Amino acid sequence: MTVQELYAEVSPIAVEVLQIPHFDSSVTMNSTPEWDSLSHVQLLSALERKFSIEISADEAFKLTSAEKLVRYLHETLKGKQ
Amino acid sequence: MNVNTLPLLPHQQASRGVELRYRNFHELLKAKADEAPAREFLVFPESDRRYSYREFYELSLAAAEWLGARAKNGSTTCIIFRNTPEFLAIFFGAVFRGMTVVPVNPDLAAPEIRFIVENSDGATVFYDPELEAKLGPLVGGMKHVAFHPLGDVAHLTQADAGRIESGLPEVDPTTPAAIIYTSGTTGYPKGVVLSHMNFLVDGMGMAEWFHFSPETRSLCILPLFHNNGLVVSMTTTLWGGGSIVMVDPKASLRSFWALVTRYHATFTSVMPSILAAILAMGFDGRPGLLEGIICGGQLLPLSLAQKFEARFGVPIFEGFGSTEATSYSCFNAFPADKRKLGSVGQVLPISDMKVVDENDLEVADGVEGEICIRGANVAIGYHKLPELEAHRFRHGWYHSGDFGLREKDGHYYFRGRRDDLIVKGGEKIYPAEIENVLSKHASVAESAVIGVEDAILGQEICAFAKLREGATTSEAELLKFCAQSLARFKQPKRIVIINRLGDMPELPKGPTKKILYRVLRDYYGRRLANSEDPEGLKWVLGSQGAG
Repeated sequence: MTVQELYAEVSPIAVEVLQIPHFDSSVTMNSTPEWDSLSHVQLLSALERKFSIEISADEAFKLTSAEKLVRYLHETLKGKQ
Repeated sequence: MNVNTLPLLPHQQASRGVELRYRNFHELLKAKADEAPAREFLVFPESDRRYSYREFYELSLAAAEWLGARAKNGSTTCIIFRNTPEFLAIFFGAVFRGMTVVPVNPDLAAPEIRFIVENSDGATVFYDPELEAKLGPLVGGMKHVAFHPLGDVAHLTQADAGRIESGLPEVDPTTPAAIIYTSGTTGYPKGVVLSHMNFLVDGMGMAEWFHFSPETRSLCILPLFHNNGLVVSMTTTLWGGGSIVMVDPKASLRSFWALVTRYHATFTSVMPSILAAILAMGFDGRPGLLEGIICGGQLLPLSLAQKFEARFGVPIFEGFGSTEATSYSCFNAFPADKRKLGSVGQVLPISDMKVVDENDLEVADGVEGEICIRGANVAIGYHKLPELEAHRFRHGWYHSGDFGLREKDGHYYFRGRRDDLIVKGGEKIYPAEIENVLSKHASVAESAVIGVEDAILGQEICAFAKLREGATTSEAELLKFCAQSLARFKQPKRIVIINRLGDMPELPKGPTKKILYRVLRDYYGRRLANSEDPEGLKWVLGSQGAG
């Protein structure tokens, strides 16, 4: 799956969990008050279910933007293949 | 230096004199850098940046020089950053120059940020460019303020040569170091003015209480724009000469135990809501070297503390304080076997505390009343609010508005608020802030806001709105309206339009027409308990959270 394809998969989930109008590469935790501590946990859990992966607690605190999150998923899913 | 030799305000004079080794932040950081230049001071895991004491002292000097070329000594500098090296470099650089720092929550709405910048007379504002969309109109509209995106100062935190210590002004201990804004009863945030002495005395008091040393490793998961992060995690650890691991508070919850073990944290400071969330979400982990968790800022239910300790084996040290007392003024005893669970502990040697009745007379041990604090950790006062300042800092004591009691053995117990302050996930919100916004909606005749119980956050926000005759607005429209002017954590979870309630057509008021918040809380409780509630007041508690 390409990064672009991943965005298409991740966006509807993030939009629903974070209750924001769109989720693209411009979205960061810093610029999105809806992306708070509890919704971060909910978002990661939803993505784990979607892609049948486990997001490492050692990495979870670094995933503070759409770009970092999708890049992380891209690498993780590549490693899974 | 004994602080009693300084020109203290009446409410800063405790019964015991405090010996303070450093006069200001510059002397403190310089002393630590001289003592152990190579010792690690700051670690930022997200960006993988680490700084020794010497490195960070030097880049703070560089920040001071940078600022000195652009702003007047004694002016006010607002910082709208998350927990980054740039935040601390600007903080130290500014206070080295005798400037006053105003840390601002980046999640505040644009009108709230504008209010704080204007009210504090902010001359310089540092902001994260990710906030450009929100802050753009402010940057263009406040011509007298110098706005600097983070990029302007990013070079200050890179390894570089040429740090020159020159031209720093003499900064007295009583010089304001920061204005911390908290929720205000008038509907606007109020600025608490804290001096260098306040920070250093409170940091020293806590560092000595918990035996902080160069071996101490603090995990800072609370924001630096609040006094807890800035004082408990940063100043206290700095006083002890230890190191601090700084992470983004919004991203740290799930990684809490991983950060504790990977970075060998020995202490951390949290709000009760964080403990509740870790338990509720089933985040397991090993405490590693963690000696204790400092906890306060809202009521900590004894059952929550016991459950957490039983599951993870880490002692929780509950304390009591407020922004007006810099941070904490009393704590449960360290080490853990000396604690009295359920108590917020005993007063720190830097302060005095007492409990008074409604006539300001001290009550007997075991009798509930308002908790008052005095000492060199108590703030200078409120910024530009002389009447409120005279009221809250009266008769030589700071009157906290918090209810509690002291037992014969000197242990204090916190019971709750005297007023209607809402404490949601550690964030303090006065109803007036939200009522002010609702009153600006054309359809709303009047409103009242209460805090209601929440399993994780401690409290959530519920508003009651009375619509003008003929008005037909909806709850969704009112929620949207609030979102334009209020930070997300201040937005009500529900707005109940009382015109549509069968049994409460008007807001309950007393003889002086003052809204009876207690009656509203009782009403909410009754409706919430009713499973056939026609208005659907019951919501899923804790489904959304404060950042």
